[in-house]
Amino acid sequence: MAIPVLMPRQGQSVETCILGEWVKKKGDTVKTGDILFSYETDKASFEEDAKTDGILLDIFFAEGDEVPVLVNVAVIGAVGESVDEFRPDSQAKSPEKDTQAAVAVAKTVSVPVLNTNFESSRKVKISPRAKNAAERVGIAYQHLQGSGPEGRIIERDIEAAAQMIPKLTPLAQEKAKAEGLKTGETTTGLGGKAIAKDLISYNQIYGDDFEVKKLSNMRKLIAKAMLTSLQNSAQLTHHMSADARKIMALRKKFKKAFDAGTVSQNITINDLVCFAVIKALKKYPQVNSHFIGDSMRWFNKVHLGLAVDTDRGLMVPAIKNAEDLSLEGLSAQLQAIAGQCRKGNVSPELLAPEAASFTISNLGNYGVEMFTPVINLPQTAILGVCTIVPRPKDLGDGVYGFVPMMGLSLTYDHQALDGGEATLFLKEIKEQIENLEI
Amino acid sequence: MSKIYDLAIIGGGPAGYVAAERAGAKGLSVLIFDMRSLGGVCLNEGCIPTKTLLNSVKVLEYAKEASKYGINVENISIDFKKIMLRKDKVVRKLVAGIGVKMKHVHAEVVMAKATIREKRGEVITIEADGQEYQANRLLVCSGSEAAVPPIPGLDITQILTNREILQLKEKPESLVIIGGGVIGTEFADFFNAMGTKVTVIEMLPEILTGVDEEIAAFVRKEFVKKGVEFHLKARVTKLNGKEVVFEKNGQEYKITGEQVLLSVGRKASVAGIGLENIGVEFTPRGVKIDQNCRTNVPNVYAAGDITGFSLLAHTASREGEVAVNHMLGRKDVMRYDAIPGVVYTHPEIAGVGLTESTAKEKGIEVEVKQLPMAYAGRFVAENEGKDGFCKVIVGKKYREILGIHMVGGACSEMIWGACAIIEAQLRVQDVEEIVFPHPTVSEIIKETIFQF
Repeated sequence: MAIPVLMPRQGQSVETCILGEWVKKKGDTVKTGDILFSYETDKASFEEDAKTDGILLDIFFAEGDEVPVLVNVAVIGAVGESVDEFRPDSQAKSPEKDTQAAVAVAKTVSVPVLNTNFESSRKVKISPRAKNAAERVGIAYQHLQGSGPEGRIIERDIEAAAQMIPKLTPLAQEKAKAEGLKTGETTTGLGGKAIAKDLISYNQIYGDDFEVKKLSNMRKLIAKAMLTSLQNSAQLTHHMSADARKIMALRKKFKKAFDAGTVSQNITINDLVCFAVIKALKKYPQVNSHFIGDSMRWFNKVHLGLAVDTDRGLMVPAIKNAEDLSLEGLSAQLQAIAGQCRKGNVSPELLAPEAASFTISNLGNYGVEMFTPVINLPQTAILGVCTIVPRPKDLGDGVYGFVPMMGLSLTYDHQALDGGEATLFLKEIKEQIENLEI
Repeated sequence: MSKIYDLAIIGGGPAGYVAAERAGAKGLSVLIFDMRSLGGVCLNEGCIPTKTLLNSVKVLEYAKEASKYGINVENISIDFKKIMLRKDKVVRKLVAGIGVKMKHVHAEVVMAKATIREKRGEVITIEADGQEYQANRLLVCSGSEAAVPPIPGLDITQILTNREILQLKEKPESLVIIGGGVIGTEFADFFNAMGTKVTVIEMLPEILTGVDEEIAAFVRKEFVKKGVEFHLKARVTKLNGKEVVFEKNGQEYKITGEQVLLSVGRKASVAGIGLENIGVEFTPRGVKIDQNCRTNVPNVYAAGDITGFSLLAHTASREGEVAVNHMLGRKDVMRYDAIPGVVYTHPEIAGVGLTESTAKEKGIEVEVKQLPMAYAGRFVAENEGKDGFCKVIVGKKYREILGIHMVGGACSEMIWGACAIIEAQLRVQDVEEIVFPHPTVSEIIKETIFQF
């Protein structure tokens, strides 16, 4: 027999709750104790679990709906059972609800949002009730500090914020928006409204002595990718340095050969490092991977990403199957793809963060001695290659000398890799560089 | 022990009596001094009596032009004495009304010249008629006097100011008006209509300084048609009794009037009230106030003409209210951006906000649109053979309404709407959404705004 699921009553004074999220969908099989949906009052959030086994035959309310308590929200039963008898009297209710919504829209006061165009990718914790209220009065809730559990924004936060916003005259609204001004402490207009004269610059030090530069799309993408990376992974960086005598000697040798015309490519230090890293990656396949929440992708081949600085911003193109290339081939491809990035005709597929399995960012040419590169998610690690500096080294037999050492900064996602693994991998790179044989 | 009032007010004009009314209504114990008559210059020798007289001009004009509307009026004659008596009646009635208002709010009225004696701690002592009064707060609104410039030969006993001219018993055959400002122009209108030969001598290139130049010129030309003589850019150099000597374009002219009206401006009445005894900061031009109408001395406020700027009754009343609101802790500040200016001549002039020339002086980029009053159907219906126009000034960048100026018809009665538009900083698109009653002359404002 089909059994209705009621919107529970949370406390005597609560008459309606907002349906948060449906965990189960219509048609799902549910077992007693399974969470069906979340819901909230203006003060707290709760979850409702199934009290019986069966199929979730129908759902009567959508996420965000305000549902009176003890009203049927869903029906659990066996396939083929009728749910109509449990359907709440929604026919009569919905038109009224629609009218209310229309009235609410009509009443919406246009309050200028005095924030910047900061488009946050972070998840804002806000109750549906508060969100409705915010949208009704035009409050940019993204920047509010919530007073609910875990900083969740609840309705009273929106009410408080609405109180704080001074009313602006139409001119003041337009001017504030156009010139990036905000209301000062004092308002001198009719009925306490802020008039154009009351608007002040965001900053009392420099006033409006700056130019607003719109972000290019590219910049927006980079910004989003970088912030997402730092917010959605557990990244940290280990630093180590490798004896660069061998690699420098190789570079010298190849340069001579190139000048003599015996090799087609002018092999650079970067090419050699990339070559060494590919070898290391083959020994630590867990680093040549993507971390995708509940699983990882371990790649069979190394698809090497290389950070390229261009006039338009940072690009990270991937070289497919990089491990199959000879040093000369790798060098040629790295050179070609960097060229394409700078010209702007690189294939977009190669720029996707998913395209590469591991990335190298080389700041050695700029004299950077160590840094903390940012992982290109969903990759699990990135190697920062630093400049070569002379460091004292025990050359054996109590002899110390200055040796050119190349800095290596490995940022890895601790979600995917542990410190030991990362260290061993970094040490492997060091050894590959120090003992590179071509 | 004598009573300490919550508020003492010196001057019962539009600043003082309005402040007394508001403060009394909020429960403050109020004491108000006036050395002449409640209502101040406005009620006794300014706004009200002149408007009463000018209404007789309006009625006369209607009578004369009645045939245009298909009404025949014959044997029109003017009874100057009766006109003046009616004016006195109106003034008496309104003055008495203020007295009643003061009673209503339990404000104590002392009809005597008040002098501030001292401020000891919070308590301010004021002396009037040999008696001392004490209050915790003071509002000074002693108003202004007709300015008397140092012109050689000027004998104040032989010529008139706004005060004396209103007491004339007989219509003068001729009147020379020194100063073509609002006061001079309104009296010119009245006496010209009465049949007096009126000559206006103005120092500047145009009459009615502060009014939109195009409107001022329009009115002047209307006046010339009616027989008023104007001498612009003319500087009075000497007076010999009622003979006025003036210089214009390097030439000297002499003109004698049966009466001579001096209306060259007004001067704040800062002397003789003891401001210096409690250290109130002031100059001969006026008392300095902040946006809450406070003077430099705590709990001492000033409002009205004594501040030396925007010498208008409605400015005064509003300043008085701002002062009282500040005393009562209500957030309120004095704004001068939307103070209307009205001249009750025929045709009437009403304007608020920036004019084209003030915008230019301030370096504000504006756009201007203008429409003849005939765009409003009601104007055409009611103003046979008359003319006028409306001019709207908007900011170039945001198209906010910065000024609305009108001439023609009864535009004084609709200017408050323009004030509200400017106070609220509405833009062209905002005003377009306002419903104006049809048919009214006020539609001209909307029509002109739709020109942008």
